[in-house]
Amino acid sequence: MTNRRKLALVCAACVSVASALVPLHVDAQKTDRAKALGTKLMCMCGCGQILTQCNHINCPSSGPMLKELDAHVATGEADDLIIQDFVQKYGEKVLSAPPTKGFNSIAWYIPGVAFAIGLGIVITLIRLWRQRDVARLATASGAPPIPHSAADELREVQLERARKQVDRETDD
Amino acid sequence: MDLFGSYALLLAFAFALYAIFGGIAAIITRRPLLIKSARNAGFAVCALIWIGTLSLWYLFYTDNYSMVYVAAHSNRTLSPYYKFSALWSGQEGSLLFWSFLLSIYVFSVLFTYRGKHPELMPYVGVVLAGVQIFFLTMNNFVASPYQVFAGTGAGGILHMATRADGSGLNPLLQYPEMAIHPPTLYSGYTGFTIPFAFALAALLGRYPGEKWIHLTRRWTMIAWAFQSAGILLGAHWAYAVLGWGGYWGWDPVENASLMPWLTGTAFLHSVIMQEKRGMMRVWNVWLVFLTFMLCILGTSLTRSGAVNSVHAFAESNIGHWFWGFLLLIILVCVAAYLKNRDYLRSDNQLDSMLSRESSFLFNNLILLVACVAVLAGTLFPVLSEAVRGSKISVGPPFFNRVNIPIAMFLLFLTGVGPLLAWRKTSVESLKKNFGFPLIGGFVAAGIAIALGLREFYVTLCLLLSVFVTLTILAEFYRGARVISARTGSNLFSAASQLTMRNTRRYGGYVVHFGMVLVFIGISGQAFNQDKQMDMSAGSEMNIGPYDLHLQNYDSTQEPNYSAERATIDVEKNGRSVMMLYPTRRFYPSNQESGTMVAISSTLREDLYVVYAGTNPDTNLPVIHAYLNPLVKWIWLGGAVVVLGTILALLPNRQAVMVLSTAAAGQSAPVPGGAQPAQISYSARSQLPDHHD
Repeated sequence: MTNRRKLALVCAACVSVASALVPLHVDAQKTDRAKALGTKLMCMCGCGQILTQCNHINCPSSGPMLKELDAHVATGEADDLIIQDFVQKYGEKVLSAPPTKGFNSIAWYIPGVAFAIGLGIVITLIRLWRQRDVARLATASGAPPIPHSAADELREVQLERARKQVDRETDD
Repeated sequence: MDLFGSYALLLAFAFALYAIFGGIAAIITRRPLLIKSARNAGFAVCALIWIGTLSLWYLFYTDNYSMVYVAAHSNRTLSPYYKFSALWSGQEGSLLFWSFLLSIYVFSVLFTYRGKHPELMPYVGVVLAGVQIFFLTMNNFVASPYQVFAGTGAGGILHMATRADGSGLNPLLQYPEMAIHPPTLYSGYTGFTIPFAFALAALLGRYPGEKWIHLTRRWTMIAWAFQSAGILLGAHWAYAVLGWGGYWGWDPVENASLMPWLTGTAFLHSVIMQEKRGMMRVWNVWLVFLTFMLCILGTSLTRSGAVNSVHAFAESNIGHWFWGFLLLIILVCVAAYLKNRDYLRSDNQLDSMLSRESSFLFNNLILLVACVAVLAGTLFPVLSEAVRGSKISVGPPFFNRVNIPIAMFLLFLTGVGPLLAWRKTSVESLKKNFGFPLIGGFVAAGIAIALGLREFYVTLCLLLSVFVTLTILAEFYRGARVISARTGSNLFSAASQLTMRNTRRYGGYVVHFGMVLVFIGISGQAFNQDKQMDMSAGSEMNIGPYDLHLQNYDSTQEPNYSAERATIDVEKNGRSVMMLYPTRRFYPSNQESGTMVAISSTLREDLYVVYAGTNPDTNLPVIHAYLNPLVKWIWLGGAVVVLGTILALLPNRQAVMVLSTAAAGQSAPVPGGAQPAQISYSARSQLPDHHD
């Protein structure tokens, strides 16, 4: 297959995948403000779901809360004020994500800090292991093998052989 | 007869104790008879647990309502199908079911390796019996499913009482998938006990080399496949039953199943480094330990009432037992590691930053960070309450924001990792391997942007999905072309031969492709639409390209429930395309309601219609319709992941193929000049797997 044909095939595949996705975007319905705000709040019935997603039949909380939200939006209050009103009424638990200020903001930092620490460890390991490799190459090119490790290796091989024999002999 | 199963479980407990202490004695004395005796005790434990479980099933099917558990989770009109799944619908039964599945794994391991690896298996037997004894303690003394109703007779004498009928099964669980999802997921959880037992046994017994890794690889893959399928089946159940239009809500129970999956995935990758290069011994042992600990942690979270969840069992004191068990596991693992850490010493060396080894390190890093992010989000409400005295919520906005970038990086590594060479990859090789897929990815993203796609992460997901798919296809194509040139077979046949020659490697690629499909499906969530309306007969709702005409409502009476059903005619471009019947059920036995969502699913989108109840103000039924794009790709991807894992579990057929060629006397030079090797039949079984 020539490169041009390969490219044509790839383009055809890409067009089909992209065209499957894009009209969905064009048709996408605009969410109203209440809906957007509803995703920032939790339903307080204890289901642990987003307010606009709680679909429990006869849920005692989501219906009144959604009405309350609609009423706030109808008065033209700013988003922050509406959220603040809900926090005052229901406590911080009503927020669907931890606040970005105060103690609870720590939740947002944990993944980043974990990544930074992990990345540091990985980079350190890679550097350390590469240095070992350089040292190994240097040893291999110049210095004679160390008798101790060779003896260890031999012992290990003999041990493994003995264990295999024991395995065979004790096989049911 | 009622308590037959209870006695079986008590006996199992006693035998498990013997399996532990007899096993320890066998390890110390190395007496073969004692080894065999402890192993046989292990077999007996499994058989007795099976009897205990079958006995509970029998009580369900005979409507024995003198048993508290049966009365709480079944009733006479419950269909036989759900009487089967009722066994694991409550706390006590699900713990017994856990023991049951674990016993199947334990039996399989003890049977498969009976008389083999005498230096390792006694340790494995002791660890497995240790895990079993914890669950048997729960089954016998903490959360027994064999409790009976008691009544007071003449003279105040207590006797067993019987109820006329049971309360029935939770309506949310009366869905066909509930007979499949919990067993699948639990098989994943319990399956991770096997690699844990081997890792701990190898560490305690200082078992030499990488043998334990070879022994447990398939068990780990089986557990991982069950965990993957269980997670996706759970997502599908949530989607089809809970009626909120989504499949993943970052609920603590969902997170609990995801965390061991993430570390298990990391292990399946990093273990290749140990097999190939003898590296990462300490890391691999700890990954296995961590995966098992996360299985127990997740169970603790959902059974202690520490976190709120729609799936969680009722709050009970059972959580303390799990916390205690978790602490014990941590102590044992740390002690074993500290005592024998020199055994895990490996001569880790890395030739280049651009190598397969580095990509595995980054893969592990990303998977672990994802796990930490999920764990942090799940536990933070508990931490916040402990520190500040008030609980907060950590919902989907947090998890999505944190995990989507991580997932994108992981998807990128899925494409990059397999194409990097071991030890060192040259820049030329990079250009050769990545140039073409990368161009394909950018072309796809460019076209999507030109057509109006603006969501950053969806565009990135599209770019990476095309990139990964092309790298996988290129890998198959390169290998198949070589075989095709040698044997003269067509490319598809050559690709099939290629796959069967190295099932682990190419099965792995199939799994990667399945994950790409899952990612594409998830990206469709960015375009979800929904609409809710109070609808009277004859009214109409429009969502996306669909017009929903409500024709009528009717009600039906079934033995176990009554149902209200809406009949909706769905039109697309003015043409009637289907009828949907969203239903709301009422179960009189437990006075609960449930929804049966009507879903029309295509590869492009799901039309998802819920009968959401009746509006008390208008007294009209409420219909909630969702248009969820690409959801089917997720289930399709899940099936591909499972198929890929099964493929990877198959033995390589390289030698078989060569043998058949040789036997057929086709020793003529094949295209390319390569001669098939003449391998005797007896040599076939001794050929090592060609791992990659």
